[in-house]
Amino acid sequence: MSIVLPLDEDQRDALQELLNISMGQAANSLAQLIETKIDISIPKISTVTPNELYSLLFETTDSFYTRQSFLGDIHGEVMSVLSQSGLAEVAKLMDYDEPLDKEDVQEIILELCNILAGACLSGLSDQLELTTNLNMPTLFQPEKSNFSDLQWQHTLVMEVQFIIAISSFSMRVVFCLDDESLARMKTTLDELLG
Amino acid sequence: MSISVLVADDSKLSRRSVIRALPEDLEYAICEATNGKEAIELLSDTSFDLVLLDLTMPEVDGVGVLEYLSDKADAPNVIVISADFQPEKQKIVTSLGAKRFLRKPLDKEELAMAMFELGYL
Repeated sequence: MSIVLPLDEDQRDALQELLNISMGQAANSLAQLIETKIDISIPKISTVTPNELYSLLFETTDSFYTRQSFLGDIHGEVMSVLSQSGLAEVAKLMDYDEPLDKEDVQEIILELCNILAGACLSGLSDQLELTTNLNMPTLFQPEKSNFSDLQWQHTLVMEVQFIIAISSFSMRVVFCLDDESLARMKTTLDELLG
Repeated sequence: MSISVLVADDSKLSRRSVIRALPEDLEYAICEATNGKEAIELLSDTSFDLVLLDLTMPEVDGVGVLEYLSDKADAPNVIVISADFQPEKQKIVTSLGAKRFLRKPLDKEELAMAMFELGYL
């Protein structure tokens, strides 16, 4: 994967740390809800082309996929990849009755996206003192989607992973920013670092 | 009074924030580690009064550093400063000997209070 990182080392370090703090807040929200420990990864920050983004997201099979756009001072898209494995155990922790029907599964996926992806974006925006509004997530199938509607050549990707310790469930959240938003974020990070 | 402090965090921004948050009443001899492995190396051949430790770090994480210190008789006091503040995590680090658990973003007054309670101020 070709990486052209548009952030300098200090900006990248700062963004990674702010994202780490946001992830901690998001994980704590879910941990309180399901009374279970959530492991969080070290955030990865990279720059990819739309094709590379496709490969990055869809390298795994047996997953559910959601995307949700956000608008405001910075805009872009949040894509989440949730493992099918372990979802039933998470549902149980969320007090869903077995067996799960299709609507239950969809509701759980969207709820997890709202809690984890939503809290992450909200935490990041708050720390950067930027306003963002996240739209509702929608489920999509990678084989039926194309990323030609991503109108930018390179996307800043911030990738985080949550793992629910007692199940085999994991969720990756990828934040994509366009060039204009990236420029805004760099300015804000410089102000923070100054 | 001067105390020796090890600040272990993979983020430069975070290390800088922690160092800036240290109470001005004391003088400090500060060492920095950028991951848990570096922290253990420093702890193995240098004596510190206080360790300010992040948990989510590459190579060896903060829990690994605490596990290393839990085997040492003369281990310094450790204040964990982490974004991962789930209750389960707090229990783990406390059981491994951490004296206090502070949340990121770090509040200067909370750090001062923790250091006061540990007898540094």
